Order: sequence, then C-alpha cells, then structure tokens
Amino acid sequence: MPEVPSPLARRPAGRCLTAKVALLAALAGLAVPAAFAQSPAAAPVPAQAPASPPAAAAPAAPVDEQVQSLKSDVLDLNRDLFVLEQELLYPANTQVAVFVSMDAGTFFALDSVQLKIDGKEVADYLYTPREVHALVQGGVHRLYVGNLKVGKHELVAFLTGKGPHDLDYTRGATLDFQKDIGAKYLELTITDDQRKLQPQFRVKDWE
Amino acid sequence: MPEQRQRSPRRLRALTAALAIVWTLPAPAARFHATPGLAAPDFALRAFTGPNVRLSEHIGQVVVISFWGVGCDACRGQLAALEQDFSRYQAQGLRVYAVEVADDQAGAQHFARGTHVTFPLLLDPAKSVARLYDVDNLPMTVLIDRDGKIRQVVRDFNETSRRACEDELRTLLAE
Repeated sequence: MPEVPSPLARRPAGRCLTAKVALLAALAGLAVPAAFAQSPAAAPVPAQAPASPPAAAAPAAPVDEQVQSLKSDVLDLNRDLFVLEQELLYPANTQVAVFVSMDAGTFFALDSVQLKIDGKEVADYLYTPREVHALVQGGVHRLYVGNLKVGKHELVAFLTGKGPHDLDYTRGATLDFQKDIGAKYLELTITDDQRKLQPQFRVKDWE
Repeated sequence: MPEQRQRSPRRLRALTAALAIVWTLPAPAARFHATPGLAAPDFALRAFTGPNVRLSEHIGQVVVISFWGVGCDACRGQLAALEQDFSRYQAQGLRVYAVEVADDQAGAQHFARGTHVTFPLLLDPAKSVARLYDVDNLPMTVLIDRDGKIRQVVRDFNETSRRACEDELRTLLAE
C-alpha cells in the first residue's frame, strides 16, 4: 500500500474535533465564572456602602474586557489546536493534497469527482449547484488530503457531469507524479477548450 | 523570534493537556443514532430528477428527511402527507427530502415518475445515509431545525404520528 498512515491517521478526525469542542466549552465555562469571581463587581457589597451609580458602573468594564480577553485566548487556543492537529495528521514530509478548480464551465456542468491514487479510491465527492457556482466564481475545493510515502505514484480522476448539448459526460485525467520529501499539491483543473468546444481536464503538479 | 510565535508556558500546558485529553478519549460509537438534540449528520445525494442535494446547505431552513421504500405501503401515505406540508409551508422555509432506501432502484424510478410529489426524491444506492441515520423502520421521518439539529424522529406513520409531526413542524417554522 502506498499510503503511509501517520501515528494519528488511524484516529477519526471527528473524535479530535469533539474533544476540542468539549475542551473549549469547558474552558469557556470555567473562564467566565472565574472572571466574575475576580471582579470587584461580583464581590458582596457591604450594606453600609453608599450606592453611588458612577462607582458601581466603573468595575463592569474590566470584567467585560476580561471576558473578551478570555474569549480571544480560547479562539487562539482553538486555532493552535487545529494547526497542531493538521500537522500531526498530515506531516509536511508525507502530505499530499488534491484541489479542484474550474476556469469557465461553459461546456461542462460538474456533478462528481472520483479520485484514485495508485488504484485505491481515496475520494468520491458529489457537487451541488452551489458548490459548482463557487468553483466557477474562482473558488478552489480541497478534494483530498492524505499521506503518501516518497516515490512514484499515479493519480486518476474521473469526472462526471453534463457535457455539451446537456449529454452525460464522464472523463478521466491521469497524472504520474513523484512524491519527494515535502508536501505535494496537485490541482485538477476544468477548463473550456474554445477551439474544440469541449471541456478539458488536466492535473497540474504544483512544483 | 517574533512575539506572536512565542507561546506562554500557560498556553503550552493547555495545549499539552488538550492533546492528552484527545488521545485518551474513547472512540465514538461506530453507528450514529438519530437522536433529538444532536446535530444532523451531513450528507450529499443525487436526486431522481434535479440537482444534487447537500444537507449542510440548508442551515437556516427547517428540513424534513423521510426515508422510504417502494415496497412500503405506509410510505406512500407518508409521502402524500409530506407533500401537503411542503406545499403549505414551503414559503416559510420548509424543505422536504425523501430518501429512497429500498433495493429496488428500477421500481423506485418508476414510482418517482408516477408520484405527484414536488419535493426532491433522493437516491441512496449505497445506503450510506440510511446507515448514518440508523434507519430501522420504514417510513422514518427526521425533523431538523434551523440550526441543523435533529428535533424529532418519527419511526411510523399513522394519524397520531402525523398530527405530532405537523405540530412539531409548526413549532420549528415559528422559531
């Protein structure tokens, strides 16, 4: 098998995400009461203390700032965890990613893409009209990210959709590529061949 | 080293703790049970006629997913009832999708051509979505709120379940 599972690759990503969400919820849940506990506004006010409105309103701002700061910390932590998770699941030296882009789309209405690497199906994605519209507008879809060992590999992509004259259309695009140390990025591009009035499919290797 | 790249010991400790928690958490159950309160699992399916459908594109709308099969008599009544709901509440943001889960694809296509439902009938040849929602009875109806959470699962079709389903739909549409 050409794929090299990283130590964490066997673990479902959903578990990590669930744990992250739980952790962040716990942090957020703990952080807010802690902020209130530290705040003078939350402390019991002696009965004799004069209730002057400006003095009572003043401590509210720091508490709010503290909550905002804690929220910001939680967001930063979430971002760091996401980056760390991606680095662990797909280390730079084995990572391979395949993107899909569409240049015009006049002669082809994309329905789905099936991706095989070294004969093994790694992705089968169904596109909705909204996603196709995003691609036509210049969007790029990351269809697959995984791990491959160094060496020669073959990528085959089968694209289905509606071709010219609204006919069912299935075409394949193949690329033999060399995976070196370092991340490998491949792009599946769908363009219009104005000369032949046909869609054109190519797999580009981002050197 | 730039300042933003430096991580305070507190954050590093938090990261380490988070990773430890992630690593030691037990694996989730292999099967998802369509349980009210949980987020509805996303899927994308082809329709008998019309464009492909992805559930996550309907956040903000009330979605009804009905699992049905050609050989199921109650399913026909269920689809007819859903058609009434769909025509009545479509303008208020109701989306209805009927997922065909039986093995008789040809029969399903024939049924789809002959039926008068106006909402999309989806194909699930691999039964991946039926497995995802743990379909154990036909018809089975899942009501999803505007936040993408499952609110009600009805595993039958009769007058009582029909009324309960419609009441819940009205509540969801009013939210």
